Amino acid sequence: MNAVPSASGFDRDLVARYDIDAPRYTSYPTAPHFRTSFGEADLLRAIRASNGDPIPRDLSVYVHVPFCLSPCFYCGCARIVTRDHGKAASYLTRLYREMELIAPRFDRDRPLAQLHFGGGTPNFLDAGAMVELIESIGRHFPFSRDEGREFGIELDPRGCSEDYARQVAAAGINRVSLGVQDFDPAVQTAINRVQGIEETAAVMTGARRGGVRSINIDLIYGLPKQTPDSFARTLEQVIALRPDRVAAYGYAHLPERFPAQKQIDKYDLPDASTRLTLLQQTVEMLTAAGYVHIGVDHFALPEDDLSRALAAGTLHRNFQGYSTHAQCDLIGLGMSAISHIGDTFSQNAKDLVGYYAALDGARLPVVRGLRLEADDHIHADAIQQIMCAGVLDVAAFESRHAIDFARYFRSTLSRLEPLADDGLVTCSPARIEVTPRGRFLLRIIARCFDAYAANPDIRYSRAM
Amino acid sequence: MVQLEATARRLRATGRVADDGDEIRFCSTCAFGAVCLERGVDKLALHELHCLVEHVGPYRPGDAVFRSGRPFDAIFAVRKGTVKTRALDLEGRELVLGFHLPGELIGLDAIHPEEYPCDAVALDTVEVCRFSFPALSTLAARLPGVQQELFRRLSKGIGGNALLVGDYSADERLAAFLVSLGQRYADLGFPVGSLHLAMSRGDIANYLRLAAETVSRVLRRFQDQGLLRVDGRDVAILRPADLFAIARPILKR
Repeated sequence: MNAVPSASGFDRDLVARYDIDAPRYTSYPTAPHFRTSFGEADLLRAIRASNGDPIPRDLSVYVHVPFCLSPCFYCGCARIVTRDHGKAASYLTRLYREMELIAPRFDRDRPLAQLHFGGGTPNFLDAGAMVELIESIGRHFPFSRDEGREFGIELDPRGCSEDYARQVAAAGINRVSLGVQDFDPAVQTAINRVQGIEETAAVMTGARRGGVRSINIDLIYGLPKQTPDSFARTLEQVIALRPDRVAAYGYAHLPERFPAQKQIDKYDLPDASTRLTLLQQTVEMLTAAGYVHIGVDHFALPEDDLSRALAAGTLHRNFQGYSTHAQCDLIGLGMSAISHIGDTFSQNAKDLVGYYAALDGARLPVVRGLRLEADDHIHADAIQQIMCAGVLDVAAFESRHAIDFARYFRSTLSRLEPLADDGLVTCSPARIEVTPRGRFLLRIIARCFDAYAANPDIRYSRAM
Repeated sequence: MVQLEATARRLRATGRVADDGDEIRFCSTCAFGAVCLERGVDKLALHELHCLVEHVGPYRPGDAVFRSGRPFDAIFAVRKGTVKTRALDLEGRELVLGFHLPGELIGLDAIHPEEYPCDAVALDTVEVCRFSFPALSTLAARLPGVQQELFRRLSKGIGGNALLVGDYSADERLAAFLVSLGQRYADLGFPVGSLHLAMSRGDIANYLRLAAETVSRVLRRFQDQGLLRVDGRDVAILRPADLFAIARPILKR
């Protein structure tokens, strides 16, 4: 796939036609397929096996901080809304306990190459507690000294300061992701998230002064009260702040699944046609401002690590979206966090009660997961090729997996036919390649390789 | 989505079984098949001699084929998978003695003490062939070829721990380990230069009397030097001559 930014691929009719359910493929199989039969013993076995590799993989830690001071109405994350900062202390007690239980299971010569704090709102923890947490993680998992290490944190500019950003950067954080969503006051009121440009800019300044390599801003299109004019202003303001990366997610209104969304009046939501306009102008304005479309929702400046990885064909996909790191074993700490060790996925208890109870009983809080089967590996590899490289080389794939591609993926190839007719992919016996138009619909193309996609019980957010 | 290639290859590697034998024909890797057939003794004839060739397994990873101290009554040939032999000291510390691939015999060192001096543990899914020793002795008396093959294997086993004796560097030990393991895989008909490590790096380290960390550090350096490529549990030897040159002081003694 060509890394040169281009908005020419955007085709309204086409994107509208494919505005249907598809997973984001931050993992395969996707989380809804995890099973409760997978427990602590399975996770420990997977860790032991991972230590036994001739050259064990580097480690990646994700820490979930579930608390938020106030509810953003669009949010579908695992979170707890509270103004009681005392809750942070009880949570941290368990987080430290979890680390103490799991860290010794990993051999000490496996450096921590990735660290990510997500939420909820990681900066619900005050700066002192956050720095202490980062330092403690460093004692349990020796930090990689490679300068390519990715240590990131999601910050809510509300309740964050320039100084907070500088302190976490000094503790080792080199990537910051800021939730903005939209700068328009009417939209901010409708989603219950009022924040100014100044506080956002202050956090960015603090992060940059602290030496952060890459700053991301999250935007959401399709929010209530959004209009093409208002969102164009937001995009101008974001471009003026010059973040290294921009993620523009499509809002999925699923109030029956995410109760907070019931606060959103569906008559305030932009219609399908406006939604398309919002996406189109996002792509066009960002690319005109010099951002490279990495894939799905992600954009980055050409000198950012992600753009370089895209050009070099070394891009990878993980639970945080895209990454330049492959081959890490991921340890998820905290309520609802997902781990990916060797060929297993596992997830912690999704509520505080379950999470606390397990740890208070000195057990790891894993409640479900799965071990990838041979077929899962094959499908996962194909989806990774499509989502990250945008191309699948049939001969190389066949030799990696010892399969006859055309026979193994017969039903996939027939599902791809209409997409090929629409010019989203080209399929030849030698390669499957995503076209520039198809890059906006990577999830739809990837879904053709998803052996579980036939299961109608699982609902995903819309693909665009 | 990690380790896709490695897993695919692992599945292929462990799928290979030396169990192409049946009621009449020997398995192609059978230690004694060739020498028996040489003398016109096929499997039916063995049955008539009451020499039962019994297929046992599958064993799951961690299962013991035999345990130290048990009375010796049989030797075993690995048919599928990899078997680790190990001794435990009084404090329960493990000492890895060797790794055994399909076609190789285990339990030979129990002949003299008349009890198994070590544990034989499956590292992956293992199937073995059990030769009752009294019956094998009878057979050896009637077929000198079987006797010779037994002696040959016994003396080979005695020389097998050369990697450990002497003051060799970690590089030399690891290179010698990979070269000889690669040779054994090649003898089994695997593509030359590609080997699957069923044993953990802890087992390799224990066997070579190194720290696990050292095993990984040396492998990473070999990889950086382009000598080999490690992918999960699979190792592809890219420059066999250079690897052999490092191993030479040990292998050419």
